[in-house]
Amino acid sequence: MPTSPLTSLRPLDSLRIVVIARGVAAAYAARLLGTMGAEVVLVEPPQGSPLRRQPPFLANQVSALFAYLAAGFRSQVAELDTAHGRATLGALLSQADILIDDTPLAERKPLGLDEASVAQSHPDLVHVSVLPFGAHGPKAEWKGEDVQIQHASGEGYLLPNGLAVEMFPDRAPLKVHGHFGAMQGGIAAALGALSALWARPDVGGQFVDIASQDATLAVGAFAIQRLGDGSIEHRVERSFRYGGVIPCADGYVELLTLEQRQWEGLVKLLGEPAWALDPALADSLERSRQGPMINGNIRAWAAVRKVEDIVREGQALSVPLAKYYTPAEVVRDPHEKVRGLFQPVDTGAGVFDMLVSPFQFDGAALELRSGPPALGEYNA
Amino acid sequence: MKPLAGIRIADFTVHNAGPFCTHLLSQLGAEVIKVESAMRPDAFRKPHPVYGRMGPATFDQVASTKLSVRINLKKPEGVALAKRLVAVSDVAAESFRPGVIGRLGLGFEDLQAVKQDIIMLCVSSSGQSGPDRHFAGYAPLFGAWGGLGEMTGYADGPPVEMRHVMDHTVGMNSAVAVMAALQRRRLTGQGGLVDVSAREVASSLLGEALLMAAAGEEPHRIGNEHLSHAPHGVYPAQGEDRWVAIAVTSDAEWQALAALIDESGLAGDPRFLKAADRHANRAALEPVLSAWTASRTADDISELLQGVGVAAHASWTTPEIAADPHLRTRGAICEVQEPDGKHRAAVGVPMRLSKGPEIGIHRGTPKLGEDEDYVYGELLGLGRDERTALEDAEVIY
Repeated sequence: MPTSPLTSLRPLDSLRIVVIARGVAAAYAARLLGTMGAEVVLVEPPQGSPLRRQPPFLANQVSALFAYLAAGFRSQVAELDTAHGRATLGALLSQADILIDDTPLAERKPLGLDEASVAQSHPDLVHVSVLPFGAHGPKAEWKGEDVQIQHASGEGYLLPNGLAVEMFPDRAPLKVHGHFGAMQGGIAAALGALSALWARPDVGGQFVDIASQDATLAVGAFAIQRLGDGSIEHRVERSFRYGGVIPCADGYVELLTLEQRQWEGLVKLLGEPAWALDPALADSLERSRQGPMINGNIRAWAAVRKVEDIVREGQALSVPLAKYYTPAEVVRDPHEKVRGLFQPVDTGAGVFDMLVSPFQFDGAALELRSGPPALGEYNA
Repeated sequence: MKPLAGIRIADFTVHNAGPFCTHLLSQLGAEVIKVESAMRPDAFRKPHPVYGRMGPATFDQVASTKLSVRINLKKPEGVALAKRLVAVSDVAAESFRPGVIGRLGLGFEDLQAVKQDIIMLCVSSSGQSGPDRHFAGYAPLFGAWGGLGEMTGYADGPPVEMRHVMDHTVGMNSAVAVMAALQRRRLTGQGGLVDVSAREVASSLLGEALLMAAAGEEPHRIGNEHLSHAPHGVYPAQGEDRWVAIAVTSDAEWQALAALIDESGLAGDPRFLKAADRHANRAALEPVLSAWTASRTADDISELLQGVGVAAHASWTTPEIAADPHLRTRGAICEVQEPDGKHRAAVGVPMRLSKGPEIGIHRGTPKLGEDEDYVYGELLGLGRDERTALEDAEVIY
């Protein structure tokens, strides 16, 4: 594939990564590093990574999840329960800087993937283990899908807030969409990998133990902080006193006014109705106390208006408002078009726009090398 | 050793996303110098009535392990002082609305002029470019713009607002990007500008759904369900508002679970034998499973199911998480000391390093300006008289 000038400047261009991924977390770690320039080789069994069989599916049972996660990867088939397969992996690792692996703990030693064996054979390798509950601790062997990770980390019990919990107060608490928890594990794994790589000139390779549970807990840290302040959060009480998800005539907007001037902008947006001009509501604490009344009025106002009108007028008044975009609206978003968030790639089921990376360097979008690899396309 | 020992970060970030990035890097060993002023103190130094906090916080997670200095950036001498700090730093981080830092005279080119290989991190709601770059935003808005809010929620309910997990995910992504930029600088000597867009971070968490949309499909929120696994969800457990998350991902796991439920004919019921059939008939399966889980505690169910190879975990409350031996063994939950000597639980850095066991929080929230003797005296070489003059002029303020 031709190399563009931009590609040659990607921050991790010289890095080599081997990833063994059954799940999202390990693959996502490698994807983050790959989009920044690292060469990523996905080592798969002959039947392919289980991620290839995970929904949602594009045409011909092509996994959209795998396509997204493995875009830009190479694929090497290796049967790690055979000497030949382990030799193939060993040769790759001898050239690699980082190994990212989510093989369950109990299976590692026979495959030569335990911490000690890898350290002995490849002392300069950064060995990143990514598991739902980590490689150390009483639950290290526990299984965890995203629904477990999120509910074991606190945020699961605290969702939903606002309108959804008002409507369905007796329902089970809720996870965030998709693979939110595993992706936190992946992001933490990428950070751990680069941190250990930074220290490598001083200490050599090392073992990085990532738990998606720890990472999901870390991003939910404020619940623990509030606990220390003497307050136990609950999804009902955690709702904003006013604002939040507001139903409109043709969709939903998010409204959040934390600052006084934002409240004043909201009053103007609402047309300065008498209830909002009550001098008592100039005080933020009083607004908090009268939240249900305020929200009742906001909702009645919004119910007969269109989302686009509310957002346009609200933004002009510096009221923080956002439309709840559908996935299709995100893909078509003119703002993201300008920023190059999406790039057309061959998924194996057609050429479609795919999200590249949520960050940019030096004012330019990153680029994916390719779509997902065919099974074994890198085989020697 | 802490892996990032020797890296210094001038931290101009505010709110949550940017500060969480530098908080992670500080726990990994970077020296993070938090820049504030009495005119614009960090949010945790003030009451926060929206969250019911009526005074300053005694501990702030994302400020811990950082050093604190005062600089009044409204004064030209304050900007000059900030540049002196950047000149001895590896990274400068900010999270104002795009354009603000440049108008202060601390944009990327200004900082390059004082430190040629500086890495500058800019965190914002919509990025540094594009028609929406000026939009103000908070976590729920990032989630709404990015599609994550629309895709989260009960299938028959409204979208759900993302809370501070959204901010902190932005921060953790930012930390990854900063480390990549440092890696490039090590190899090439080149600094750079890192632009992290919070709404794009939200979108990055549903890349597969966006790809489906690009292919013409219309993905929709599905609550706790899975697109192909069943049973998969959060089920009632013994006790008020207690729940357990269960996920069966293979036919063998279903057989193991069905054997535990031990209801006549369940294991052999043809509606549930194969994954596709279980998913198609999940409405019939859910009440059977819920009836079984409702009479047991969530933790007992989890132990039982994990023992037969089925993924299960209680939907834990915050106190349960703070007390968990597993998380404490891993350092994911740690103890910190407040200024009055009291101990409390905090969240550690989400990793364990075989050659860096010292990582994590090593001091609590700094007092405003607590570290000026070190930063202004030792690092920048300012004499006492010079510092006093800057204080009198409300530059160090």
